[in-house]
Amino acid sequence: MPIGVPINPGRVCWTGENPGIMLKEQLDGPWSALALLFRIAWSPQGAGIALVLYEQPDSTATLPHCNNVVITDNQPMAQFLMADFVAKFGVFGEVPAFANMPYLPVTHARTTGDPLGNRYCEAVASDGLSVELVWEKLGRPTAIEVPPELSGTGQHTMFSLLVESREAAIFVNGRRLSGTPQPREQAGLQTTTAFLYFAESWISD
Amino acid sequence: MAPRIPINPGLVEWSGDNPGIYLRDRPDGPFVTLALFFKVVLSPHGSGTAMLVLGAPDQAGTWPQRPNLMITDNQAMARYLVDGFVVNMPTFRARPALERLAFLPLTGASTERHGQRHSERVTGAGLTAEMAWDRLETPFAVEVNPEQSATGTHQMYSIFVEAKAASVSVNGTRLAGIVTDRQLFGRTISTAFLAFSETWVKPVPT
Repeated sequence: MPIGVPINPGRVCWTGENPGIMLKEQLDGPWSALALLFRIAWSPQGAGIALVLYEQPDSTATLPHCNNVVITDNQPMAQFLMADFVAKFGVFGEVPAFANMPYLPVTHARTTGDPLGNRYCEAVASDGLSVELVWEKLGRPTAIEVPPELSGTGQHTMFSLLVESREAAIFVNGRRLSGTPQPREQAGLQTTTAFLYFAESWISD
Repeated sequence: MAPRIPINPGLVEWSGDNPGIYLRDRPDGPFVTLALFFKVVLSPHGSGTAMLVLGAPDQAGTWPQRPNLMITDNQAMARYLVDGFVVNMPTFRARPALERLAFLPLTGASTERHGQRHSERVTGAGLTAEMAWDRLETPFAVEVNPEQSATGTHQMYSIFVEAKAASVSVNGTRLAGIVTDRQLFGRTISTAFLAFSETWVKPVPT
């Protein structure tokens, strides 16, 4: 079994939930829309919610021209996550949109659905900007322990509970962004680019 | 360290936060107050919030005669947690208070965090119950095999944050007991802890 020493000697960097949706219009095309939600139970900067939305990943434009934004109730926590983690999460840190993300305050946040059912939703709003993430065709929950060489940052051990989704959408003020989830492999597991990640912890060796 | 594989093939039973407070009347005395809080994101009975308070763990009575109660917004989930997990935990095993426990409807829940303090408050059925942790320590990750886990049959992953002080109250009355030390996998920690991102997995039979 994967489990080793009962008490991991590493330093806990953060723990919480981290679902996301990555969409493309075609398999070999660019990413058309990206979203990551952090619901943090513990971090050095405290707890909170942060929604990272790239409505136009390939653009450095932001409000009011496009919704490349971070919506959060804890800006220091969100900035920590963006600088130390999202920046290293492959495409999330590589697309032009990453360089120019404004921070907006959360005015509404709500979770609905059942990760063991057919549908799960996260809705986050900041005044006139409303974002809804919808995951459907959910898979079997799988506990994963990803070593540093396979983790998103390449530096941390990551524990998480993955529920994959084979149909997902991002809505901005009721408008569905273009694209669909794509197949991907994570640590040898064939999955998709739409995922629920619960009980996620990042450990620095 | 045992070899690890990234993908656990076991059956995920439930996942969420599961902090606890176990209080004794003196460092070498019996437990006089036991409390667990559950904020579950995934279980066979859905998600939900539940607080278990045993203010008289060795007495069979329940609320309102005794300060023994479960308050929850998902009774099926709470019964699943008590029947499948809590009754098997060494600290709770064979406690008379669990025999006829009242399951009360939860109508409100709130979390407060201020510096080195964390509290969970629930209301419903005319009562308010609160668990509060103070003097929080540095978090650490645990991952245990069935022979090490509280149920004896599951693997469990969690992030623990030890609290050097803690209290449990019902309707503003603080329940008896003090935080003491315990041994956890060769490490001395207190009997009050936050437990975030906890996942219980039933291993695949070998």
